[in-house]
Amino acid sequence: MTILEAAAALRSKKVSAVELVNESLDRVARLNPRLNAFITVLEESSRARAAELDTELARGLDRGPLHGIPIAHKDLILTKGVLTTAGSKFFANFVPDQDAEVAAKLIAAGAVLIGKAGLHELAYGTTSNNPHYGPICNPWDVERIPGGSSGGSGAAVAAGLVPMATGTDTGGSIRIPASFCGVVGLKPTFDRVSRRGVLPLGFTLDHIGPMTRTVRDAAISFNAMAAHPSGYVPPSNTDIRGLRIGLPRNYFFDRLDPEVAGAVRTAFQTAAALGGNIVEIGLPDMEALNTIGRLVLLVEAATALRPYLHRRTEFGRDVLALLDQGRLISPADYIDAQRLRRIYAREFSQIWTQVDCVFTPATPMAAPRIGQMTVQLGAVTEDTRLASTRFARAINTLGIPALALPCGFTKNNLPIGLQILAAPNHEDTILRASAALEDAMGIVAQALRVQKYAR
Amino acid sequence: MPDWKKLAAALDPPIPESDVAEIAPVLDALEAAFRPLQRSLPPDATMWTGPGDVE
Repeated sequence: MTILEAAAALRSKKVSAVELVNESLDRVARLNPRLNAFITVLEESSRARAAELDTELARGLDRGPLHGIPIAHKDLILTKGVLTTAGSKFFANFVPDQDAEVAAKLIAAGAVLIGKAGLHELAYGTTSNNPHYGPICNPWDVERIPGGSSGGSGAAVAAGLVPMATGTDTGGSIRIPASFCGVVGLKPTFDRVSRRGVLPLGFTLDHIGPMTRTVRDAAISFNAMAAHPSGYVPPSNTDIRGLRIGLPRNYFFDRLDPEVAGAVRTAFQTAAALGGNIVEIGLPDMEALNTIGRLVLLVEAATALRPYLHRRTEFGRDVLALLDQGRLISPADYIDAQRLRRIYAREFSQIWTQVDCVFTPATPMAAPRIGQMTVQLGAVTEDTRLASTRFARAINTLGIPALALPCGFTKNNLPIGLQILAAPNHEDTILRASAALEDAMGIVAQALRVQKYAR
Repeated sequence: MPDWKKLAAALDPPIPESDVAEIAPVLDALEAAFRPLQRSLPPDATMWTGPGDVE
């Protein structure tokens, strides 16, 4: 069930919150051994909380659409009294004494936490092949990665274990697993969802957002998580007539799997058929934005994790290599990268005079196999991690909102992700465009088939 | 290119030479991409302060 469906069923008394939570826990018990999406499962506390929420609803206290809905948090979001590992050895026994602000907001909205989702170690990578807690598997093909770093969240939502899981996104870590797992992932504007109580990776790059099966569920969740929500949830038959949709002339279609390019072009055609106005645009130097974003993240992550750097053997090799790189970059270069970032962000902002949103592929390819170090894209052999982040990282550098949603499938029945961008604080525009596409393309209904596949 | 091994040895804790050899090519590539951008910086450029900082 989606959040919207479950909320309606709760209010018509066709189901109780306890039943929703039990169904979720049953699916976790059945499927998590194959997927490894969860690090911690909270059977007792989630059932008890669901019973409280059923009582509240029976008494007329309705907290809104998330009342009684089972959710998961990425395991670097602090949860009071609940193990929070960050997928790391360093936090293997860390039990916070307070909730992150986003966790507290979701509790207040009535969501029921059923567990903590696995992730790439310290959220610093895109495979979710975690050396300490084991590889997380993609429900569409368990020999493939779910993407990362919010891989457990993506796998849990795709397999129907929960209708919503939180994710964090520093260089694509919500949108990449959304793309690989065939779910919706919203990276809001920088700081639109509070970072307080979320273990940091990139101080000026971290974003927190929801991962769901549908766009409207993402809207509902975002409204519960955000500091100043608009309350907008796309209506049925969302109208995008006249919406100016940017089609990038450069960068985003230069090097990618032809099946991905084809699915994204179909999304443009669908939007045009719905009355969207497709406008070809030239983007600023996205390679430069990627370089700037990489340098900023390398230094910020090395700084965030500095207290642990003397325990080298307790890091996974890939994370340690990134931290070592960050330590070798000078503070002056970091500051210059932040100066360049402002110049390129200002240049990029000019496109919002021409268009309301921009469509791009979310990732250049569908999910790679677990352990696959390189991908072949045209004539180029590319590092899997760099290829995964190539269309996502620059967007973190800009701090603008972005959403990934499924827009098609490969011949191997792997989901393909579309990315939609808009100006700062224009999440509503993204939700409007993506809801219209979701309805018209029918991709969500196809994505839900994964539940049968994963049984 | 910087002498990565020398820089790594000066850190506390130092980075072992064998590990530096693995990451040096990546750092060299980043240097090659970043230096031209850095040289283009106008003297009055200030740091990014957030996504709304575009006026």
